[in-house]
Amino acid sequence: MNPPLSRKIARRIRLVEIVFGVIMVLIGARAVMLQLFNVNKLADKADKDLIKTIEIKGKRGNILDRHMKKLSTSLDAVSIAAAPEDIKSPHVTARTLSPLLHMEESLIADRLASNKKFVWLKKKLSPGEGKKIKALNIPGILTMQDTIRFHPSRELAAQVIGITGWNNRGKEGLEFKFDEILRGKTKKITVKKTTRQSTQEMTRELSGNSLVLTIDKTIQYITEMALKDAVTDNGAQSGMAIVMEPDTGDILAMAHYPLFNPNAFGEFDPNNWRNRAVTDAFEPGSTLKIFLAAGALEQGISSPDTPFFCGNGSYALGSRTIRDTHAHGWLTLAQIIKVSSNIGVAKVAQLMGKNKLHTTLTRFGFGNKTGIACPIETKGTLMPPAQWSIMDTAAIAFGQAISVSAIQLACAVSAIANRGILMVPRLIRAVIAENGTARETYPPKVTGRAVSEKTASSVTRMMASVVQKGGTGTRAYLPGYGVCGKTGTAQKAIPHARGYSDNNYTALFVGFAPPKKPRLTCLVIVDEPRKSHYGGTVAAPAFKTILQKTFNYLNIPPDMGKYSSNIPSSPVWGCSQPGSSQYANMGRR
Amino acid sequence: MFDRRLLECFDWGLFLLTLSICGLGLGVLYSAVNAAEVQGMAVIFKKQMIWMGAGFFIMFSSFLVHYKFIDKASLLIYFICVALLAAVLIFGRNAGGSTRWLALGPFTVQPSELMKLSMIIVLASVYSTCVTEEGLGFHGLLKPVGLLVLPFLFILKQPDLGTAMLILFIAASMTLFVHVQKKVFFSCAALAAGAAPLLWFFVLKEYQKARILTFLNPDRDPLGAGYHIIQSKIAIGSGMMYGKGFLKGTQNALSFLPEQHTDFILSVLAEEWGFVGCCVLLILYFLFLLWGFNIAYGCRDMFGSILAFGITIMIFWQIFINIGMVMGLMPVVGVPLPLISYGGSSVITNMVGIGLLMNISMRRFLSG
Repeated sequence: MNPPLSRKIARRIRLVEIVFGVIMVLIGARAVMLQLFNVNKLADKADKDLIKTIEIKGKRGNILDRHMKKLSTSLDAVSIAAAPEDIKSPHVTARTLSPLLHMEESLIADRLASNKKFVWLKKKLSPGEGKKIKALNIPGILTMQDTIRFHPSRELAAQVIGITGWNNRGKEGLEFKFDEILRGKTKKITVKKTTRQSTQEMTRELSGNSLVLTIDKTIQYITEMALKDAVTDNGAQSGMAIVMEPDTGDILAMAHYPLFNPNAFGEFDPNNWRNRAVTDAFEPGSTLKIFLAAGALEQGISSPDTPFFCGNGSYALGSRTIRDTHAHGWLTLAQIIKVSSNIGVAKVAQLMGKNKLHTTLTRFGFGNKTGIACPIETKGTLMPPAQWSIMDTAAIAFGQAISVSAIQLACAVSAIANRGILMVPRLIRAVIAENGTARETYPPKVTGRAVSEKTASSVTRMMASVVQKGGTGTRAYLPGYGVCGKTGTAQKAIPHARGYSDNNYTALFVGFAPPKKPRLTCLVIVDEPRKSHYGGTVAAPAFKTILQKTFNYLNIPPDMGKYSSNIPSSPVWGCSQPGSSQYANMGRR
Repeated sequence: MFDRRLLECFDWGLFLLTLSICGLGLGVLYSAVNAAEVQGMAVIFKKQMIWMGAGFFIMFSSFLVHYKFIDKASLLIYFICVALLAAVLIFGRNAGGSTRWLALGPFTVQPSELMKLSMIIVLASVYSTCVTEEGLGFHGLLKPVGLLVLPFLFILKQPDLGTAMLILFIAASMTLFVHVQKKVFFSCAALAAGAAPLLWFFVLKEYQKARILTFLNPDRDPLGAGYHIIQSKIAIGSGMMYGKGFLKGTQNALSFLPEQHTDFILSVLAEEWGFVGCCVLLILYFLFLLWGFNIAYGCRDMFGSILAFGITIMIFWQIFINIGMVMGLMPVVGVPLPLISYGGSSVITNMVGIGLLMNISMRRFLSG
């Protein structure tokens, strides 16, 4: 190659390199501009134009009984809404939708003609119905995924479980109290506008937690049926019953009558929705006498055999006269309980003094919330002793001038059955996640000692005599097992006035069985019975039926409480089978 | 035939640069393919690996033959490529509205890619015989222009304006490189200026016009013609200084980026590795091109020098057009980013080109 040409080439290559260097710098400058300076403008653009945010809602968790059977669950549903702006002809659309939505044509047309941007047409149709409407593909009609709360066993334990509203928020009962735990979580995710991503997996992850209750579906059913018979047979207004384990405080059944179906709660009187056993207080009548007796023994005021003169049926105290249904002369403390003498307990109470009586009742949990996991629990009414008149002290001893809730009463009686130890009533065993793992377990909890073991066993013996010949509660006697109990027949206070009604009574029976090793505590309350009004006549038979059937169901043989181990073991953590007393090693995490 | 001295002169620098760019390319492609939710993309990465492997093999094979033999075979290669282009027009496989591919078993070949290289070889061969100190006259341009016309029209017919223009640019650069007389240069420039309006009204298709209009104003049609470029700019912009990280690019993962594994792969790099990543690639390219020009400079014979220049300038134009397009400096034209974009023919063509560069580089100390 000749040298000048070669030189020329060399010069040209240099030139090209320079041009090319300049271009590279240009590109670099562009990169700087795009990546380091224009950033916010470009990033905003990405968000605004092509991305949408959708909300994924998890399903509400279940409420399960102690054997993991569903009491309340969520099913898929479809809610129908409309964007009235996009509806071409409200009338034609209304005519098409009317049979599918089970709604009046005119009502639909009115809503479609609204000037709102969004109106609901019908909430919670079945998925099948939703599919049909979606298939019509009417512009402006929106089908939205939803869930509906469903109670597979309808009325069963409805007042305890409660109600979930149309907005999937708890409204009553446990659904309300544990709404935060049960509720499915909501998550906003960003997706491409055109995406068809499956959100199923995410929905599952967002599911709410489930509650495992101490309620046993079968015992609940037994209790509800027995209560229903007691109420209807006696022409009563309403009734409540509780079955619990004295040693763990587990609530096995909490029944109310009248029943209501939470799947269609709107059709029932809202007064029947609430869990009265927890929210309502009443005068406990003679059932309170057992605590007076316990107090008298505990404080050394009297022994079971100490005699009291029962005034032959009438005893003037201040301006009032206390009467017994049957006239009695001298009775020992044990006999006073057996025949339920008002005069007898009035005299014991006087001897004891109001402060000691108040202390005793407080130790049994009266005047305080039990701590059961139900909303709006009542404390009942236990006035401070300074406000008690002499008459009040006597009246409180036989269950007037004091009001208690059913759960307080059941717990207090359970304390006697549980050798004097008062337990916190346990309704929730565990909170479990969607995949079945436990989020939280609730072991049995002790409130405190109410009375000594010795006192408890003395009172137990007195209560055993109540169902024996000559006692007030003979109809509760359960052959083979033995029963400890106490009847109560409370005159109801006249609403908005002083004094008591002569016609309206509350009939109660509370007790436990078997006496040697109590397995179940049961309380039956029948409100305003008409045919008879004595607790021993109205409530005791229901008590007996409940215990008999429950012992049967639990395979507890009638050998005075010897523990039988052929009960299927429970699947959940830290919980015992009903009747087992081994809570010492349970659920302590 | 094999000379041991060849091995001693092996151009390690060029080889390592090539290797680095290929490695970076595979990394970005992996992300482009895997982060996206589009089905069936995973196989693309494997295919590219195979192509790169084949590319390196061919690259090494092309050392063995002295480039002087290539000089002699230039016309043969040229006619084979023209025949392939003709075959495309007859048997070609249609994809995305144009017919650019020939099916060869499981793979497809894009003859227009091979034509680029063939054009460089044949032009280098022609120019090396007629180059003079005073430059080419009109007469001297007849032969090169004649060789250019047929492939250009064939490729334009596919239609593949990008590759056609690329070949034109390469040919023009090479012609300028060998020097033309001033009067020739100015008449050609005037001709090009005059042809531009004609091109607009008679040659360009609607979508091509739309692309140019969109380039001038991307917001003209943000979801249509402007979509590519807006999305690409968003992706590059959102990478910022250090990027979002490997496999973390949202624009990429959500498939907002169109052609994110082929022509727009740079935006994946920019989004995930940020400004720093871009700079690394640009510097690698810059070094690579300097190296190429240096080979052209150091070569002692005319053919080798022009060939080296032609190959380097081919790679340069591809880089420039692609990056310019992705960054919104140029209209959207389908030109892949060398050694980074997915595409077998592109990889093979560039690898053969690099092989020839090495071939020239290795023999510069050997007597012809």
